[in-house]
Amino acid sequence: MTDSPDGGWRRAVGRAVARGVARVGPWPLAVALVGTASAHSGSLGGAAASATVPTWLTVLTGGVVVGATFLFTTLLTDHDAMRSVNWSRVALPAPALARRALVRGCQLVSVALLGLVFVTGLSGTTTPTRNFALLFVWTGWWAGFTMTTYLVGNTWPAFDPFRAIAGVVRRVLDALLDGSAGTVAPDRTDGGTATVPASPAPRLPEEWGVWPAVAGLLALVYVEVVSPIGSNPRSLALVVAAYGLVTVAGAVVYGRTWFDRVDPVSRVFLTYGRVAPVQRDGDGLSLRIPGTAATEEVLPDRPGETAFVVALLWVTTYDGLVATPLWARLVEPVVGAGVPAVLVHVVVLLAGFALFLGGYRLSSRAVRERAETYVAVDEIERWFAPSLVPIAAGYHVAHFMGYFLTLAPALAAVAASPFAPPATVALVLPGWFGSVKLACVLLGHVLAVWVAHSLAFELFPGVLAAIRSQVPTVVVMVFYTMVSLWVITQPYVPPPFV
Amino acid sequence: MTRNLPDPATDVPPDEEPTAVCAHCERPFRSVHARDLHVGEVHEAEATETERERYERVIETERDDLWLFHARTVVALGVVYSTTVILYMVVLGQFG
Ligand SMILES: [Zn+2]
Repeated sequence: MTDSPDGGWRRAVGRAVARGVARVGPWPLAVALVGTASAHSGSLGGAAASATVPTWLTVLTGGVVVGATFLFTTLLTDHDAMRSVNWSRVALPAPALARRALVRGCQLVSVALLGLVFVTGLSGTTTPTRNFALLFVWTGWWAGFTMTTYLVGNTWPAFDPFRAIAGVVRRVLDALLDGSAGTVAPDRTDGGTATVPASPAPRLPEEWGVWPAVAGLLALVYVEVVSPIGSNPRSLALVVAAYGLVTVAGAVVYGRTWFDRVDPVSRVFLTYGRVAPVQRDGDGLSLRIPGTAATEEVLPDRPGETAFVVALLWVTTYDGLVATPLWARLVEPVVGAGVPAVLVHVVVLLAGFALFLGGYRLSSRAVRERAETYVAVDEIERWFAPSLVPIAAGYHVAHFMGYFLTLAPALAAVAASPFAPPATVALVLPGWFGSVKLACVLLGHVLAVWVAHSLAFELFPGVLAAIRSQVPTVVVMVFYTMVSLWVITQPYVPPPFV
Repeated sequence: MTRNLPDPATDVPPDEEPTAVCAHCERPFRSVHARDLHVGEVHEAEATETERERYERVIETERDDLWLFHARTVVALGVVYSTTVILYMVVLGQFG
């Protein structure tokens, strides 16, 4: 599994775990639902006995759990009690001075790591399991770091090496320009993580909103799927360099706006951070119940804000979908008929995104009808969009937790000696781990039902309108749960022709 | 407790006259019921005596409707649970 040369290595390892699910079946889940006590007496390793739960039943059970969660939340109608849960928080000590020092430290570390990624990517070994750049970017960063953004908190602004580099470039340019013009340099003292000053000169058109970030996210995922950056350290280093150049140049020209409205990576982490337990609270930090921060925040009124959250959900699905046997079966005749595979991938990427966005819009219209309200449709879209984030996070953790654990020992071994990497072994996860993944997907949906329920109570007066308004969303969620569970239980097949 | 979220933007179709409007914040509503609830929830401090009485009355209506709704929910949960159990018994029984 470590040496499939054609682009599928990264997923191949991730999916090796998924294969376990299909074989083993999600028996703890099933047993928990049926309520049989033997769930706990049976040893977790002896999962072979449960090969009897067919995939369709697993998928159906997932849908039933989400539907039943909704029915259950309708019994919780005490708005003040809901708020006391959602608004509970513990302030974390975070002195400004310590925070600024910590941010500087993070930036230095991440710029050094970026340098190491370039060096090992361009000149290191091309054996994937021994190459620092590949292991660090995919295992350490895209799997591991991303998980911390929703499980702990969004620390990317502090770590982002490109933001740090752009800040330095900006300051140097300012000094040069100011020096030559003989003017006094403007005051650049901004606290905390903000190393890139607000831009004075060029501005992005306001009507674009965050659509550039939506396009950027789709483009990044497309490159990830069709190019060999998952297994070839040279092309990975080049793609990172290209992304870095664009990001630094954009940030130097447009300032902080770039990270707010264009840079897809910053926005992905910002979006995931909405459900994290550690949140920025005014000047400090606070610890919240996971997911509850999303019940207090409506997306800003800008074009593309809803579309970005929907795009995040879609790309996690797409990433899994293109590695299923069904995809291979459907694509092969199309490519056989002479259509280039890269074209098929881009068409499906865009069409699926349009489908998700259209589905979300339709369900928001239905919410407006069901709640008998005059609240505008795009307001409803933005209001409930944060409830999609736990779903995306649950799906991400299901996809990448096993992958991260499998390769974490290899990453640690190679990180200790990146220039003379030892041979590494992938950790073999036990069979029951597949059930953990299914549980993560379900947990994301259950949290989403709670967030949507809480948001509905904030939007609509009374109890019954709020409950009724949720029915269309829940129908969509049940359907989506089943689709994602199906994708997760599929055996891994490398996307053909890429 | 106070709400932290902003007031939602509303959009009344051009050919429609809102059934009810909030006297305090001019938000339009499709029903008098929803308006009376909104006034009691959001404008508790400024509400007039009449508005308070109306709120008491719609809360009563909500309570009755909710009881019926919850009764149906409990039945639905029971049906879902037993259907799932039976489904698992049938499927697992086939292989067992
Ligand atoms: Zn009002």
